[in-house]
Amino acid sequence: MGVGMAVSFWDIVAAVLLVGTGILVVRLQNAVRAAIALIANFLVIAAVYVGLEARFVAMIQIIVYGGAIVVLFLFVIMLLSAARANVGEDLLPGLQAPALIGALGLAAILIYALTHFQAPASPPPLQGGLPQVLGPLLYGPDRWLYALLAVGFLLLIATVAAVVLVEPERLTRSTEHPAHPSRGPQPSPQDEREVVGR
Amino acid sequence: MTAFSIRRVPKLGFVGLLGIAPAFAQASEASTDPLWMVGIKAFLVIFGLLTAFAYMTLIERRILARIQIRQGPNRVGPDGLLQPLADAIKSILKEDIVPRAADKLVFWLAPMISVTFAVLTFGLIPFGPKHAFFGFDPWVINLDVGILYIFAVSEIAVYGIFLAGWASNSKYSLLGSLRSSAALISYELGLGMSLLAPVVLVGSLNLQAIVEWQHTHGWLILYLLPAFALFVVSSMAEAARTPFDLPEAEQELVGGYNTEYSSIKWALFQMAEYIHLITASALIPTLFLGGWRMPGFLTAIPWIGGFFAWPYLWMFVKIALFLFFFIWVRGTFFRLRYDQLMRFGWGRLLPLALIWFLIVAAVVAFKLPLSILAWLSALSLIGFSIYVVLGAKPQAPRRTMRPGVGD
Repeated sequence: MGVGMAVSFWDIVAAVLLVGTGILVVRLQNAVRAAIALIANFLVIAAVYVGLEARFVAMIQIIVYGGAIVVLFLFVIMLLSAARANVGEDLLPGLQAPALIGALGLAAILIYALTHFQAPASPPPLQGGLPQVLGPLLYGPDRWLYALLAVGFLLLIATVAAVVLVEPERLTRSTEHPAHPSRGPQPSPQDEREVVGR
Repeated sequence: MTAFSIRRVPKLGFVGLLGIAPAFAQASEASTDPLWMVGIKAFLVIFGLLTAFAYMTLIERRILARIQIRQGPNRVGPDGLLQPLADAIKSILKEDIVPRAADKLVFWLAPMISVTFAVLTFGLIPFGPKHAFFGFDPWVINLDVGILYIFAVSEIAVYGIFLAGWASNSKYSLLGSLRSSAALISYELGLGMSLLAPVVLVGSLNLQAIVEWQHTHGWLILYLLPAFALFVVSSMAEAARTPFDLPEAEQELVGGYNTEYSSIKWALFQMAEYIHLITASALIPTLFLGGWRMPGFLTAIPWIGGFFAWPYLWMFVKIALFLFFFIWVRGTFFRLRYDQLMRFGWGRLLPLALIWFLIVAAVVAFKLPLSILAWLSALSLIGFSIYVVLGAKPQAPRRTMRPGVGD
């Protein structure tokens, strides 16, 4: 907490829960249990947001991170390494020293930020951080509209790249045979099944 | 006054709430109930949901039996009315088996996650105007981000299902879990997109504000028929009801994610599923069918308009209608195949919801008259009918090709 800000009982509870679940995420040997700890961590973060009058961001935190992203994590853990979820071996052993340096650097930045933080005299009216307030801020033409569009475009490129990575031969076959540019990709067995299915 | 009111709270759950005299005078000031009253209302909601769950199992079995021309459970008590009690005693007293290879902690945690997060959403749904509940508000909590809250909690609730499947350490359970997580990713998008249409049109995420908007402008189903249809379908998928009940497909996966569960833990999963169903049946009318208000054309009739304007009554009527609709669908349709569900979620649900959302956003942004949306809704209904009629045609020759019928 910064200068001039009172630390309440619930701040301490939230801090203990956040750090505790964070340690669990890293230290638990079982990947699925670590994911459960991650959900708990996200829920506590959402509660902290609610305490900071940012209810919209809190709900987005649960929907996007607690819901969609951890669902994907669990899906991948169960699908790819269901048998290996419990081995608890360190898959990337060389990472501990760089991680320690990173953590110390982050701690230094946080300590600097907390000791030098000056609360604004009149905080901006958030009104619960509702979309009616956030929307014009984010999407106003003189604000962050173009930055958001650029980020969206980047994500679209990443999605297309993922499709290319997953099915390279389906997309590159027509370019490998310039003699037959009009010939599209061969129907895969999946496509034939679709036709039969109808 | 207040102590007297508490004593008068009926102990029969939701059915008892029908007897409460409505408060027609609406106070304009924003009221916040004291914390003890919120606690009592939360208890009433949970108690009512559990009672409703117990009797929904009976009602569903009786209605399905009627659809399939048989009797259904009718032995325990008069007309089988005590069947839920017998089921409860049975499921509590049965042996609770935990597989030796199961992850004990997660195995125990999963049904709890399911039920806890299933119960959390119902308290947001308004059952009447302000101060209609003995001078208090007829909802547990009134959130300005209500719809987002419902969406968030229902997403977390799914963790119960696929943690259960993983913790059981069984092939069938894991397959059920994987199906449920893959299905979740594919239809939640359509669900969220179809929810955005009423939010953008009304301009609020608050359920109370949406109900009030419908009181002045007319029911949202008139303007947003496609969003309504998509939302109903996605709600069925969310509650894992029969056309979409792949996570627990009995014929393929024994019981899916709950194969290894027995006794009260299994009953908790059933409880969560029915509570999701009840919540969806209350949420759909709140969003699209005027909420707790009675249908507008009935208010014009003097006697009926005055006497049957109880807010609770109309909410319960609408909930019952949708519960029956969901059971009816279960008795009518087949389960989708897995690839059909995927193609439906990504290929139909999401694009249609996205297109409709863009149309609604354009109407709101350019301040076009609302009647355009009503006309477009009617057009979409006509278009869908034409699609169904034309889509049914290719099956006609197949029918004549049966041996002994054609040629």
